[in-house]
Amino acid sequence: MTITFPHMGWLYIPVKALFDDLNVPIVVPPPINNKTLEIGTLLAPEMACLPMKINLGNYVQSIENGADTIVLTGSCGPCRFGYYGVVEQEILRDQGYDVDIIILDAPGRDPREFVNRISRITGRSPLFKGLKAFFQASKIIEEMDKLQQVFLRKRPRELAKGETDRIQTRFEKEVMKCKGSREILALIEKYRHKAETIQERPDTTPLRIGLVGEIYTLIEPYVNLNVEKKLGSLGVEVHRGITIRDWVKTHLSLDLKYKKERKEKLDKGAGYLNLCIGGHAWETIASAVHYADMGLDGVIQILPFGCMPEIVAESIIPTISKDLDIPAMTLTVDELTGEAGYQTRLEAFVDLLSRRKEIIYEQA
Amino acid sequence: MKIGIPRALLYSIYLPLWKTFLESLGHQIVMSSHTDKKILDNGVKFCVDDACLPIKIFHGHVMDLAHKTDAVLVPRLVSIHPEEYICPKFIGLPEMIKHSVPGSPSLLVMDYNARSGTEKAYHGMKTLGRELGASEKLIKRALSEARIRQAEHERRMEREKGLNPAHALDGKGMEGIIRLEQGTIGLIGHPYLVYDQFINMDICNKLAARGYGTVFPENIPMADIEAACKRYPKKMFWSYGKRLLGAGLTMMGDRQVDGLILLTSFGCGIDSFVDELLVIANRRKYKLPLTIITLDEHTGQAGFNTRLEAFIDMIEWRRRYDNYIPAHGLAVYTGKGTFR
Ligand code: SF4
Ligand code: SF4
Repeated sequence: MTITFPHMGWLYIPVKALFDDLNVPIVVPPPINNKTLEIGTLLAPEMACLPMKINLGNYVQSIENGADTIVLTGSCGPCRFGYYGVVEQEILRDQGYDVDIIILDAPGRDPREFVNRISRITGRSPLFKGLKAFFQASKIIEEMDKLQQVFLRKRPRELAKGETDRIQTRFEKEVMKCKGSREILALIEKYRHKAETIQERPDTTPLRIGLVGEIYTLIEPYVNLNVEKKLGSLGVEVHRGITIRDWVKTHLSLDLKYKKERKEKLDKGAGYLNLCIGGHAWETIASAVHYADMGLDGVIQILPFGCMPEIVAESIIPTISKDLDIPAMTLTVDELTGEAGYQTRLEAFVDLLSRRKEIIYEQA
Repeated sequence: MKIGIPRALLYSIYLPLWKTFLESLGHQIVMSSHTDKKILDNGVKFCVDDACLPIKIFHGHVMDLAHKTDAVLVPRLVSIHPEEYICPKFIGLPEMIKHSVPGSPSLLVMDYNARSGTEKAYHGMKTLGRELGASEKLIKRALSEARIRQAEHERRMEREKGLNPAHALDGKGMEGIIRLEQGTIGLIGHPYLVYDQFINMDICNKLAARGYGTVFPENIPMADIEAACKRYPKKMFWSYGKRLLGAGLTMMGDRQVDGLILLTSFGCGIDSFVDELLVIANRRKYKLPLTIITLDEHTGQAGFNTRLEAFIDMIEWRRRYDNYIPAHGLAVYTGKGTFR
């Protein structure tokens, strides 16, 4: 059995560490590229969500590299993500790929089945080794989250243009060569140090923009056309609440303090939306309010075309923008989104924010 | 109070429940007009672009009622069956309306959530009753009356094959006809597409004109639907997704139809999955004539008719060449792209 899984930003880093530690052979899908998208677009129904199209591309490329089992997490609605596994399996089988899909739904109803599926994946590792591997993986998630935050903070402030990007690229290259969680943790540590010491321009107060929207689109740079790098190089400090750490903490951990904080944050949006409608729409709304409270200069919502919960959020955002006086922009991405037009819209929005800031500054 | 009920989304299924309840509480009900060009245009204009056609049209219906009534009922159908949902947009519908419809008409939001039990579903209605100032006793009576009416309606839908629930409500509009001289077509789609003559370009009458009756998902017994969906490794958690999938599979399996039309709205997330599963099942096993027709605000009569004609021609052609075995379950796959 050779396992593979879908890409989502840096998710492959803890996943790789986990399986390395368990001595389970895996195939990390090749980095998402145009070919991935092309395969996915061909296989998936046209109206499928973009993340699913990329998933399918990942699988096929991994199967070509020897994978025969796909592991993915699930949910029980209300959004489509919960049914990805079934539709993906049908499509792959229909295309003649002989693969197994293991869907890891939250243990809720049937804990035995959950343990069953986990042990199908972890093989015959002794329990304590398994637990240790999970523990290490969650540590990696924490650490890489911090590294990411450093990159986000440094990018708009770097003295030598492009240095942050260069360091990040080097990190991403080297991490693939690491084996096991120990090596990966050491590498993250090393790069965090490197990133911390990136020289900053003197007295810069960058514009600050909060990113909100559908989780996959926010986390996966290929799909959001590298929005963080683009904004960073326009001199913007990017804030993003939804990260892999956040997702893991919400869905897979028992961290009560975190859950309480999360609930408090969600409550901020209560005046606009006060229940889960699927996906991350509630977070989108609550974060937009939160970013306005924090005094950020603007908010950008990103969603894949046809994303059901985010469409609901999209209709609420203009009201928040008006009520709380914070400029907001919605970007819908699909497989045809062009680099140039996207860049232009980002630049125009950043322009608007900086002009607005100047005016406010002069008035003060 | 004069309360408006939009003749949109799942009204054709749930109107008896809502209407009886509010009437028994002593309110006057006004229905919005049947969907027309103006309602469509208004909906398209004020709803966010990315939304699907039925949601846009709901916006239009609310606007149609805004000036005629004291308040407009906006149901929030979170779930109509334990452990199931309908669609994220149904859950966020009141918010969409509130933030998009101009002139902020007063809205009565009525929650309906059977996710953790059928009885609990009625909490939302009771809450609304209280907000409207009714006594507990009156609410209780109104609710039980409403539930009786609703049960009658549901029984009719399952029993009378070919029944159009929208027609059953007021005797207006298209009547369902199950079997005509040429045969029967299975029409798979959400109630708000299948039973709204304006949105679906009057598809049933057009089929009838060529001699075909229609059978709808609501006419397939729930037990068959559940059984048919069992073949997938995970429960389909959208109630209508399940209904469409199970009904489609049942119709294919029983061979009670000569062909299937999957009617969908551009941008419908649920259908993108359901239709794919149906197409795959049909291609691999049943090999019936099948077509997907996608509707959106740009759909024109002429293009639509051509598509329908072509599909029927194909059914008849296949019937004539009965022993012709198609290479891969010949079907017109027209699901890609907006159909104009
Ligand atoms: S949240 Fe959006 S992208 Fe994710 S499954 Fe739902 S529709 Fe698809
Ligand atoms: S089920 Fe489809 S058509 Fe209905 S509201 Fe949801 S996305 Fe729109």
